[in-house]
Amino acid sequence: MKALELKSFSMRENPLIRKLILSGLLTERKVASTTSPRVVAISKYTMRSIFNIFKSIFYTCLGFGLLGLFWSAVSSISKGELPGPTATLAVLWEMVINPFYDNGPNDKGIAIQLWASVVRVFYGFGLGSLVAIPIGILIGTSDVLRKILYPIIQILKPVSPLAWFPIGLVVFKSSPTATIFIIFITSLWPTLINTALGVGSIPEDHKNVAKAFGFSNTKYLFKILLPYSMPFIITGLRLSIGVAWLVIVAGEMLSGGTGIGFFVWDSWNGLSLEKVISAILIIGTVGLLFDRLFTFIEKLVTYGK
Amino acid sequence: MENNVLVPEVETTELYDSGLSMQIRNLKISFDTPKGEYVAVKNINLNVKHGEIISIIGHSGCGKSTILNAIGGFTKPAKGEVILNYKTVKGPGPDRGFVFQNYSLLPWMTVYKNIYEAVDSVLKDKTTAEKKETVDRFIDAVGLTPHKDKFPSQISGGMKQRVAIARAFAINPKFLLLDEPFGALDALTKGTMHIELLKLWNMDNRSKTIIMVTHDIEEAIFLSDRIVVMNDGPAATIREIVEVKLPRPRNKKDIVHQEEYVKTRDRLIGLLMDKVSIEDYK
Repeated sequence: MKALELKSFSMRENPLIRKLILSGLLTERKVASTTSPRVVAISKYTMRSIFNIFKSIFYTCLGFGLLGLFWSAVSSISKGELPGPTATLAVLWEMVINPFYDNGPNDKGIAIQLWASVVRVFYGFGLGSLVAIPIGILIGTSDVLRKILYPIIQILKPVSPLAWFPIGLVVFKSSPTATIFIIFITSLWPTLINTALGVGSIPEDHKNVAKAFGFSNTKYLFKILLPYSMPFIITGLRLSIGVAWLVIVAGEMLSGGTGIGFFVWDSWNGLSLEKVISAILIIGTVGLLFDRLFTFIEKLVTYGK
Repeated sequence: MENNVLVPEVETTELYDSGLSMQIRNLKISFDTPKGEYVAVKNINLNVKHGEIISIIGHSGCGKSTILNAIGGFTKPAKGEVILNYKTVKGPGPDRGFVFQNYSLLPWMTVYKNIYEAVDSVLKDKTTAEKKETVDRFIDAVGLTPHKDKFPSQISGGMKQRVAIARAFAINPKFLLLDEPFGALDALTKGTMHIELLKLWNMDNRSKTIIMVTHDIEEAIFLSDRIVVMNDGPAATIREIVEVKLPRPRNKKDIVHQEEYVKTRDRLIGLLMDKVSIEDYK
């Protein structure tokens, strides 16, 4: 541990160092041989945290390494019909270093395709949330509305959003808009159901506070209903955007034009499985980022437990 | 039908003249259950004067909280009525400050905000500055100024109860309804809270009527002018109303030695514990 000692007597007086000592990241130790009685060192707690981070990274790498081995094995069994990791990663690298090129309608950079999909998801998801949250609140608040709307929701919810595509085409006469429309439909259900669940589970205690102190409807909405339901709503939004990201790929395969889904289909038509697999990796990564973003927001709105 | 028995209309003048602030008339509360009607309390009659402190005491399940909920307007009577300030109670309202059994603070708001939102909702005519001044005054009165920016999860049970009481007082209600307010507190904290409660009551010249549900005999004697002792449920009724003739201000240390205190306590123990004797276990 001697090597990790930050030593120097004066350093202990540094306010930053003091703060780190108080928070347990650094520690003070006695050293018998020196005249200065204490030496600042990295605490065991910090060492363990750093060690744990390295351990997680190691296991993650191990997982990907095993996947790569398996993939190579399958690739060599298929005698190269399924491209192996090296070939794919080379193509992925090509795509990533030049993401913005635009050589006409059927040959655009990966970032342009990805952006087209993300924009569609955000339009559809945004509009869907704007509809789903208020309806969810109404269903959660009113027994009558719940009885009227729930059967309809239960019938529509299990339908694959792609089934709505022809209706979108007829109504909007444009396949990109129809794609946004199916994302809109997709985004409705998880948000709506979670919002209704959250609003429906507001404890009597909280409602009694509103009654006893004569809260207006607006005050009830903003001071009790929304703060209580917010974690439920965000969970709904997280599920919604997850499904929306699943559906966009299929939707764009149907609609064509631009987008990551179209890119997958176009790469298949161009017989480049390397591109297809690269796209799969990118789609997965973006999906993970969406999920993390909403998990983060979820933590922000969850009040002190 | 029994439920339709007419209760004679109250002469409002009668209430004015007698200095009553609250009257419970022939109250019966029942709940529908799968096994039929469950009568929680019945034949409850009680007159309360302005500025009185009344305790309702009884064993668990005797319907004492049910009566309080009826006064608060949270439970509808099956028969009879509760009259507050010459009006029959139809629902909850800010003329009554309710201190709930489990504090009922909103966990996503600070101590300050919890009180402010109630004040903001009830005292609509005041300016923001006046409202803030009110909140600060009551937070100070219960000694929570250093903790006003904390969340309910960050403070102790006693502090939460102080917030709940400050919130109830801050809206300046005519009536204070306290549902086992100190039940979850340790004996020492309880003692301090009793003093806090009386301090707030004294702050506006003992003009507020306080109705408190409790199962603590000593607490009831120390705080109340009269103690309503309930029979055991179901279909509980008032067993007896015991008057506490101790003069105010009362001093916790001294009153326990007074003859009146001992007499009142013995009476209450007699009423509440008559069933619990050695013979019962043989």
